[in-house]
Amino acid sequence: MISEQQVKEFLNQGGYIADDAIVTAVFLALRMEKPILIEGPPGVGKTGLAKALSASLDFPLVRLQCYEGIDEGKALYDWEYGKQLLYTQLLRTQLDNYLSVSADLREAVERLTSEESLFFSRNFLVQRPILRSFLSEKRSLLLIDEIDRSDDEFEALLLECLSEFQISVPELGVIEANRRPLTILTSNGTRMISDALRRRCLYLYIGYPELDREIAIVRAKFPDLCASLARQMVEFLRKARELNLRKPPSVSETLDWAQVLSILKASQLTAEIVANTVGVIAKHQTDLQKVADLAARELG
Amino acid sequence: MERIIARFVGELRTCGIRVSPGESLDAVQALALAGIRGRRSTRRLLRLTLVKNVHDIPVFDEAFNRFFSRFQFPPEGDIPGLMEAAIVSMEGEFSTMNLVEAHQDEEPGPLLKLDSQIDPEDLQELKSLTEIDPDDTDGSETVVQIKGRRELAKTPRPSRRFVQNPLTIDLGQGQGQDRGIVFSAEEQAAMQDVVSRMMLRLRKDMKRIKNDQNRGKLHVIKTIQKNYRHDMVPFQVALRRKRREKPRLLVLCDVSYSVSHAARFMLLLLHTLHNQLLEVRSFIFNRQLAEITELLANLPVNELMRTIDQGDIVDLDENSSYGQVFLEFKKKFLENLRGRPAVIILGDARNNYDEACDWVLEEIREKSRYMLWLTPEEREIWRRGDCLIDTYGAYCDKVEVVKTVDDLSVVVEDLLLDIYADQAHPLEKKRLREKEAEEEIDYRSYYSRGKSGAEPAFDPSGRSHW
Repeated sequence: MISEQQVKEFLNQGGYIADDAIVTAVFLALRMEKPILIEGPPGVGKTGLAKALSASLDFPLVRLQCYEGIDEGKALYDWEYGKQLLYTQLLRTQLDNYLSVSADLREAVERLTSEESLFFSRNFLVQRPILRSFLSEKRSLLLIDEIDRSDDEFEALLLECLSEFQISVPELGVIEANRRPLTILTSNGTRMISDALRRRCLYLYIGYPELDREIAIVRAKFPDLCASLARQMVEFLRKARELNLRKPPSVSETLDWAQVLSILKASQLTAEIVANTVGVIAKHQTDLQKVADLAARELG
Repeated sequence: MERIIARFVGELRTCGIRVSPGESLDAVQALALAGIRGRRSTRRLLRLTLVKNVHDIPVFDEAFNRFFSRFQFPPEGDIPGLMEAAIVSMEGEFSTMNLVEAHQDEEPGPLLKLDSQIDPEDLQELKSLTEIDPDDTDGSETVVQIKGRRELAKTPRPSRRFVQNPLTIDLGQGQGQDRGIVFSAEEQAAMQDVVSRMMLRLRKDMKRIKNDQNRGKLHVIKTIQKNYRHDMVPFQVALRRKRREKPRLLVLCDVSYSVSHAARFMLLLLHTLHNQLLEVRSFIFNRQLAEITELLANLPVNELMRTIDQGDIVDLDENSSYGQVFLEFKKKFLENLRGRPAVIILGDARNNYDEACDWVLEEIREKSRYMLWLTPEEREIWRRGDCLIDTYGAYCDKVEVVKTVDDLSVVVEDLLLDIYADQAHPLEKKRLREKEAEEEIDYRSYYSRGKSGAEPAFDPSGRSHW
């Protein structure tokens, strides 16, 4: 059985520097087989956590990107009408033979009815992400990304899947998961997620990381970036986050910037470098000016 | 351990965090799986399993620190032994307490807390809770809890601290003293609650209307896809959807002292509604007029309230003048009013005997889809003093009395439905109108809303139907 320490090592292997709360959450999710609902500002590594986990634990990643109007046909399963139609066409002669034995129409219908399950079998079921992850041979990682973009109806649809790990298909009955997937739901908090869904999940809030962890993240991704520069840029970004920007720079921006700086072979952060690369950190016109001002103030 | 968790969950519930039994079971299971390895790790485990909302995290941390403050865990050590000791000592305390309070069938959790310490923060919290009490019937849960606490606090206690404690004295009053408009977390949560339920109801209705009104041209590809199984016989027809724009709303909100209480809830409601469903432009006025749409969207609501309260946006020391404000509105904003918004004016229409300028309202009415006047005053006192609501009301489609958050949400909800119905497909519109006509006969629901029984005897020009 996996321990918390092992989870931490696994995450580090996957290149994800996690804090204790994240480690505990993943550990509990693995042991209790409960989904994790992760909330937090965009770009702090919510989806990244799922990817790192899938890579290091060797769970195949099944990703479901939510959007407005997503429904069970896109998320759970669908019937393959085309294939069904094709099969009936191809099997026409066989069907004729098969039915010609019957004495009258009633018997023919009965014979046909007895074979009905052929056409509503798993052969004709298109597996959409959730069903696919349930039926996967290995334990998989189901990532339901940006659940806040979907509608309430879809949320309600997920309730059965997430608490019982089963899917009810009217024609087939209940399909249970082979192995309960490690399930991760992410939300940017643009809409309130219902309490019913929250109750079925462990709740993890990932905010902006602390100074040391953010530096460690940068160092892990770009080992050749010099340590003092990494510290300097992270400290600068932390100040930028307090500027009340329209889109505060997140960890993903930190990493982008680190990449840019290492390409530019910068050894020290200066106001000039910031001014040249400000587009990597700030994503709105009004923000650009604020960040440039901060650079002029802080770095002279 | 289960017992401690159960008590802790009880404590969380008194703090306003909703914890279901299933979640407390999860917590116990999680502790069993991960083991108890110190304070921080235990707090992490409990937080992961018991708290399901970002806003509850600080409350949880505080409750955790308070609840487990008596039993300081050393970072590593003989935890099971300590736990045992903790249980024994806690039970010892509870049993003595229960002896004292033998007549009382309350849960002993909060008692412990009340006895141990009451810090000013808690007091503040209690006060703010009583403040929503009359306004917010939806916060029944919190209200009940507070009543429970109050009773606990009032029961004679062996220690003398309770007699001197300001808690019992201050609870009743202290309501009007603090004029600063600051929303407590509970108020915001209650509002969030009202709004989210309102959104749910609205969404259902609107979806129905929308589905019907989305009729457009035939969507050929989708129709073919859908009818594949019918051998291309188009049993099911898929139609193109029409894009609908969000309804626009324009709100003029009086923030003078006389109506500040209603105004603050209006602003909070708008703040919560904004961008969810509507495009809102909000203005506040006293004698001057100022647009606060941007501020509402960007500032935290409490900060905005403070700014308004300090008179930084509009001068609060002057007497309110509706006439002046309407003139200013016409001059600055009326020209570029787009898309026939619905206009809501919130105020008591007390003009301080200034010029009425009611002809401006006529112009605003022409440019808007619908005009609604909300007043926090009872119908009976409308005619007294400098109240011009009869004059102004004549230009409005509707005048409503709102005294509580619930009233407000009902009124706004009705309005939104009206707006949506207005955009609806002609057929649907006809159906809605018929339905409305049926409902109109039943005046009871309407009048019980405004809490005034008497039917208004006055109908100035027949334009308003109240």
